[in-house]
Amino acid sequence: MARSAKAVPWFLFAAGGTITAFVLPVLLLVTNIGPALGLFQGAMNYETMSGFMSWWVVKLAILGIVVLGLWHAAHRLRICAHDFGIRADSAVAVVLYGLATIGTLATVVALLSI
Amino acid sequence: MSETTVRKPYKRQMSRTTWFMTHARFKSYMLHEVSSIFVALYMALLIAGLFALANGPDAWAGWLAFVKSVPVLILSLIAFGFFVIHTTSWFKAVPQAMRIQQGEHFVPGKLIIGGHYVALGAFSLFVLILAGVA
Repeated sequence: MARSAKAVPWFLFAAGGTITAFVLPVLLLVTNIGPALGLFQGAMNYETMSGFMSWWVVKLAILGIVVLGLWHAAHRLRICAHDFGIRADSAVAVVLYGLATIGTLATVVALLSI
Repeated sequence: MSETTVRKPYKRQMSRTTWFMTHARFKSYMLHEVSSIFVALYMALLIAGLFALANGPDAWAGWLAFVKSVPVLILSLIAFGFFVIHTTSWFKAVPQAMRIQQGEHFVPGKLIIGGHYVALGAFSLFVLILAGVA
């Protein structure tokens, strides 16, 4: 049977799709919508957040969420580009997976400097 | 035989850019596919937030002020809608992707989906309590 490199982005897409399905709605409530409405002020202040983010377990969890979310979105946006009539798939793939790679590195750098 | 037949296959005319507007099923497919735009934007915002946290209290305050601004709030509310669409459509597809066999039978899809919603509820409640108590 022919081996295909498709398994790699597909695995990242599926893993990212699962983790984002569970995490993103509530995370968006806590980081964005709640604070804009005056909620979660204690949790979102600098001392609490930097204390919370200094835990390695938390860093690993955030790394997993952000990186898998990025690769999930990159793969799905590649399909979206095709669905919206853009047929330059290799160029689209290079750009989107390239951005996901940059995002992955940026996440690692940011987490290591907290 | 010198006679040649010319194939004239029927090609249905379909727009490359608006094809999904022709059928309700295509529309709902595009709706959950487009959620990825908001996932990507939110991930970028979170990465910016991590850098702000690393750069100290002033940078963090700046990021938080940006997040609380009206345009970002409006985008966040739209994003929340798309995240819910992503979650429900993803859970709906799980029984097709993951068939669990138990003895002679497969675990019914409804049970698998239900389990996912229970886990989602428990996790969301846990995060909200954690954020509310902190």
